[in-house]
Amino acid sequence: MTSSIHPKRRAVLKRFLSASTLAMLASSGLLLPQRVLAHWPGDAFTAETVEDVLLALMGQAEKIEKTGVKFTVGKPAKLITDGQSVTVEITSKLANIERVALLVDNNPNPLVMSFELTENVMMPLKTRIKIVAGESQLIAVIRADGKLYETTRDVRVYAGGNA
Amino acid sequence: MGMLQHDRIRAALREGHTEIRVLLIHPMISGRDENKVPADDAISPPHFIQDIRCWRNGDEMFAVKCGPATAENPYFSFQLTEGESGDKIKVRWVDNIGQKGIVEVMVK
Repeated sequence: MTSSIHPKRRAVLKRFLSASTLAMLASSGLLLPQRVLAHWPGDAFTAETVEDVLLALMGQAEKIEKTGVKFTVGKPAKLITDGQSVTVEITSKLANIERVALLVDNNPNPLVMSFELTENVMMPLKTRIKIVAGESQLIAVIRADGKLYETTRDVRVYAGGNA
Repeated sequence: MGMLQHDRIRAALREGHTEIRVLLIHPMISGRDENKVPADDAISPPHFIQDIRCWRNGDEMFAVKCGPATAENPYFSFQLTEGESGDKIKVRWVDNIGQKGIVEVMVK
């Protein structure tokens, strides 16, 4: 029985990974099998233009096809009184969707959220977002089979959200 | 709003898929409160959920990366393909200061 770990290193590891730490990790779910999806993409979330978001998040910002994505925004649509919580539903019949980004062009940082899908996820996706006051464009961008598909929706918000 | 004190998850079998609905209790503070009056009130530092992941029976299915423009008490509804009674659905979130939470439900 030989170990590839140097005895000294092992002692160091032991010191840091006590039994109680391991128990804590196990109960927190950190040791569950995970498929590694991208880290929190800070560059994309702090970008200040839609184009920069798409470059950071999707690796491309061009060749966007204006088909394939459908949007339902607010109740009723287009007339939003409270920008703190706006219901958004995204539907699409595209196959092999890898990622769905939701953006608001006039928010200080346009990227609101990014959904990372496996083949086990189906549309629609529904969530609630903040939109600043005034007129904005809501943008949903889907990356499927390496191509980008976009749909936009103009909205007017009376009381803005602290996006 | 006062009654919602803990994260909630629901899972329901539909025709050919499983519908998951999640409500997480979190202030989702952007750190950029333009509506704050009076102006000398301190603005809270950013505090928002960044990462939400969903597993079915231990397999990762879905993840959401959030910015601070996600509404307070984040709500999501999404669909997993197929599924059956007894499936274990688990959702875990982590915020920008390392706080985290887990909600689980078994599909009826």
